[in-house]
Amino acid sequence: MNHLAHAIDEIGRTTMFFAALLKTMFRRPSRFGDVVDQTWNVTLQSLPTTAMAGFFVGAIMAVQFTMQMRDFGALGYLGGLATSGTLREVGPLLIAFMLSGKVGAYTSAELGTMRVTEQIDAVRCLGADPLQELIVPRFLGIVISSSLLLGAGLLMSVLGGMTLGHLFAHVSPEEYVRHIPTILTWPSILIGFAKCAVFAVVLATICTYRGYSATGGAKGVGRAVVTTAVSTMMCLVVMDWVTSYLAEAVMTLARGP
Amino acid sequence: MKPKAFELRRVGVAFDGRSVLRDVTLDVGEGECLVLIGPSGQGKTTLLKTMAGLIAPQDGEITVRNQNFLKMDATERLNLLKRMGMLFQRNALFDSMTCAENVAFPLRETTDGDEAWIGDKVEQFLEAVGLSQARDLYPDEISGGMQKRLGIARALALSPEIIFYDDPTAGLDPITSRKIVELIQRLRHEQNSTVIAVTNDMNRAYQMADRLALVADGGVLVTGSVEETKRHPDPRVRQFIHGSVEGPLSPVSGGG
Repeated sequence: MNHLAHAIDEIGRTTMFFAALLKTMFRRPSRFGDVVDQTWNVTLQSLPTTAMAGFFVGAIMAVQFTMQMRDFGALGYLGGLATSGTLREVGPLLIAFMLSGKVGAYTSAELGTMRVTEQIDAVRCLGADPLQELIVPRFLGIVISSSLLLGAGLLMSVLGGMTLGHLFAHVSPEEYVRHIPTILTWPSILIGFAKCAVFAVVLATICTYRGYSATGGAKGVGRAVVTTAVSTMMCLVVMDWVTSYLAEAVMTLARGP
Repeated sequence: MKPKAFELRRVGVAFDGRSVLRDVTLDVGEGECLVLIGPSGQGKTTLLKTMAGLIAPQDGEITVRNQNFLKMDATERLNLLKRMGMLFQRNALFDSMTCAENVAFPLRETTDGDEAWIGDKVEQFLEAVGLSQARDLYPDEISGGMQKRLGIARALALSPEIIFYDDPTAGLDPITSRKIVELIQRLRHEQNSTVIAVTNDMNRAYQMADRLALVADGGVLVTGSVEETKRHPDPRVRQFIHGSVEGPLSPVSGGG
């Protein structure tokens, strides 16, 4: 029961932190240069792994779909289906998981260390707002770069699917890409990027909050990193369900009865 | 009677239900140097951070220059904080910035000065604390005494009217300690600022203080000037300044 109360308490605190962060973002915007720096750092840190993962996700999707599609004689749709599946489901979740392992852990450790060595207090004592100075640029950096990474990962997944499709299912590259525009409609693209943004907001809020509120020396920083990893993973799968459900509802509504 | 820089009335601070300070009532005059002394772990740093606005008290009132410190809005508070400076116990230097960038940080954040003006200011403050040679080094590349001086330069960069020093001579040899206190004194007179300092070193406390206050058992006992403190009848004060093991004070391990 205590654990449950503690969990609810933490959700409340994280939500309040998110609200304070939003308020700061609009009332006292951070310097544009700081946001660009953070976005650049996050994107550069994660680009190689995202590109590699994207390539293999495309490849996996191609392998998984080939068998079923061949039975229906619809191999021409392989590229479209694999790409749509990647964009709408696997891509955003994978990007968020990878970012949480790399950037989430890094951010909470960095902010946690700044907290326990009183550097965050020092920022406040020197007349600056730590939320505006440290948190908002990191938050925006993660959110913006997650969309850039999704775009890059998606291109790599097309390349991966195309290569594997050509080698193992003998689908020519032209045939692989031909039906991508038919299946990959604008709503799918919007859903993919919206999901990615929601996941990035969840991840960025949790990792900055955990680091910002760390207490108790090296052990406290370690605890902040571990709780960031655990709570991010849990929140991401829950949010994946919520966003998928909402997306389906919106699509149904848009199509009409 | 000097105008008051700080007025604390019945201030109480607790962490996770554990009371650290109770019913603290304390005044600090403009331009005064008040030194907080007392056993470790009994609330000196907590009191200092409460006055600097880093810890929110659960009870009581704090008035800074006739303004209610606890009830002002965020902008007013930020403006007031800009007029305060603080040297932290462990310096809290920005380890990803060079010495010059550490001093430039508050100037970039809170003033509209251009880079040339900021560069001149940084040079001036590094010169004042004798760190011109170390401007491009990072905090972990310089000695403990130099880090302390860098912390002082950064705290003073905005020419604050109220300065907090949390144990400015901790971990320093006696010669460096004396030099640091002389530096604090010189800068204080140059800038005509109010100083509130915490120290465990009685010699340095006597060197700096206009008034001393003993923080013990969650309360504050203002003991008066250096001479008054030395003659103070309270057994706790006598035990502390003589460093006796036997007596009413029981030091608690841990930070204060």
